[in-house]
Amino acid sequence: MDMHPRIHDEPRSEFDRVIPNESELTAGVRIEPGKSYGFFTDTTVCIGCKACEVACKEWNNLPADNLGLTGQSYDNTGSLSANTWRHVAFVEKAGPDGVRGNTQPSFQSGWLMMSDVCKHCHNAPCLEACPTGALFKTEFGTVVVQQDICNGCGYCVPACPFGVVDINTLDGKAHKCTLCYDRLKGGLEPACAKSCPTDSIQFGELNDLHARADRRVEQLHGLGVDSAYLYGVPGGPGATGGLGHLNAFFLLTERPEVYNLPVAPTNPSSRIVPSLLSGLAAVAGLALLAVGLLANRE
Amino acid sequence: MLTAMTMCGVVTIVQEGRFQMTDDAGVSHLFILKHSAAAEPQQLESLQARQARVRVHYKPAANLIGNTVNAIDLAG
Amino acid sequence: MPDRVTLHDPYDKAATPAVTHDTLSVGDWQGPTYYRRPQLKAAPFGNWVVGGYIFCAGLAGASALISTIAGFGRSPQEAGLTRRGRYLALLGPLSAALLIYDLHTPKRFYNMLRIAKRTSPMSIGTWILMSFSSFACLSAAAQFLSDHVPGLRWMRRAARVTDVPAAVAGAGLSTYTASLLSATSTPLWAAAPRSLAVRFGASSVAAGAASLSMGEPSGATRSKLDAVTVAALAAELAATLASHESYRRKGVAEALDGGWGQVEKLGVTALGTVLPLGLQIASSVVARRKPGILSDVASVAVLAGSLLLRVSILAAGDSSAERPGISFRFSQPDNLP
Repeated sequence: MDMHPRIHDEPRSEFDRVIPNESELTAGVRIEPGKSYGFFTDTTVCIGCKACEVACKEWNNLPADNLGLTGQSYDNTGSLSANTWRHVAFVEKAGPDGVRGNTQPSFQSGWLMMSDVCKHCHNAPCLEACPTGALFKTEFGTVVVQQDICNGCGYCVPACPFGVVDINTLDGKAHKCTLCYDRLKGGLEPACAKSCPTDSIQFGELNDLHARADRRVEQLHGLGVDSAYLYGVPGGPGATGGLGHLNAFFLLTERPEVYNLPVAPTNPSSRIVPSLLSGLAAVAGLALLAVGLLANRE
Repeated sequence: MLTAMTMCGVVTIVQEGRFQMTDDAGVSHLFILKHSAAAEPQQLESLQARQARVRVHYKPAANLIGNTVNAIDLAG
Repeated sequence: MPDRVTLHDPYDKAATPAVTHDTLSVGDWQGPTYYRRPQLKAAPFGNWVVGGYIFCAGLAGASALISTIAGFGRSPQEAGLTRRGRYLALLGPLSAALLIYDLHTPKRFYNMLRIAKRTSPMSIGTWILMSFSSFACLSAAAQFLSDHVPGLRWMRRAARVTDVPAAVAGAGLSTYTASLLSATSTPLWAAAPRSLAVRFGASSVAAGAASLSMGEPSGATRSKLDAVTVAALAAELAATLASHESYRRKGVAEALDGGWGQVEKLGVTALGTVLPLGLQIASSVVARRKPGILSDVASVAVLAGSLLLRVSILAAGDSSAERPGISFRFSQPDNLP
């Protein structure tokens, strides 16, 4: 990423004020309402440092949970939850004989590391399921839970095809990544993207990110990594079944299930009409029978 | 509520229904507003804006590093 | 996208070097998982609380529907049936208390009324419940006043006006809850949306007819109600077979292997559907001397089966969400609509 000309306006490292439109300097994008923003996560450059997990917890004042060790490689967080909105997955790959190889191609391939997050789906099932209107689509194309409206009915939880949103039983409401909605409104890029040291998590406008991602996949194929593909782009795995596309999409090198992602999720609201029609037809049929039996004028 | 502990301090960070309070000794603690608490998350923001000194009635939470709040009063 | 992958499994110490390594597969699923962790999250509903609501609401809605239909017959026997139906329908608004109890922030229950969203069966259901409750309460109030206040007997017939919208909303109430479950990503609920809806609707009608039959003094009316029950049970049985076939085809049948699957087979299908079906048929054949007892036993079995249907489907569904082998198998391209 080339240096933005505005860099020269901010020569010092002292931060005594918020820099207006800081994301222009840190992410190369000016944040404007009405455009669609998201994350492109390039897992091939993730080093598993978990700076994203820490930055997210710090900015959002989330409590430390998942206390203890799991024994699942370096993943002691486990999964996304009401108090964990960024989760780095670790998978150690074995060779065909079950032992990790000593010789590997020059591209790092023995470890898979991927920072999981809310996908901010274009046709978000959680939003469609929410009966109070707490979940809404912001002016930046992201999906946010309004904490002053949510009554903790929990219907968004099974609706999510990625198992992201969860209820916090202590405060009684649903929580998930907000894509740092408050930071976006202040012209700052999300905390996780800002803290990522390798730019594995790239924040930007969706069209831009798609172009960048396509170029990166091409580059990887050229380097011999034929298994690289995009997850969550229109028409690809993860963006199936009426979800449209995922504002937070990924570059992966193994099957989605390896990263705990579904290959072909669906938007659940497509099942409402078939269900209602079938149920009402059955009840109507039985009602007609009842009319025949009980409604006779004797 | 009678069994809850109390702590006084200044509200420094507010996010959703969670807030950080720095006590008189300068130690910061994380608090989560319970669903049954009388206070609403929207009211926390004004406490933070005013850097109000408050007293919280709280209990440590199980399975996470934080405290759950039953009530917040303004302290002198 | 790559087809095959081999992963290091920290749990499998027994793998010999010659064997292609375990890919952390689980159950029937031959593909990889992420340390066998769940990929989805189960619904945070209290299964007996929400199952109890679905059962009560279905029963109430069906009672309102059946008793309103009977009310058009205008025979003197059916007046008692209409009265009982109107009072039984109150179970709908009363069971809303169960829903409020299940919320994680109950004091904000009224936020359900902020919007009407057609992509959310919970929103659709909120409004079905609200309209049903309003009309059912008006009918019940009119019935009560006509019974206990002299000079207001005309209200009994006037209540027919509120009976009709209550019946229509009641039909919705008896089956919308299936769409509530199907419009999620929980594999067991999503795999057979149509047959689940028929099961829930038919079970509600059977429960409604059975409860009205239990209090019915007239033998003739009783056997008509029992005939409705029999038809509903037959529809439920057909839908059960259809849904099990769908589960097999979509790869989620494993979700019914555990304890709740046993409840679904024995408690719901055997005791709650097949047994009362047999008893009712036997009762109509043997009927002469004591039609009451066989029919009553059958009705109780129908009610128990209807409640267990909701609870077992909720519990088995939760388990299907928590098992990655099932959720990964379900979310494959061959299951796309």
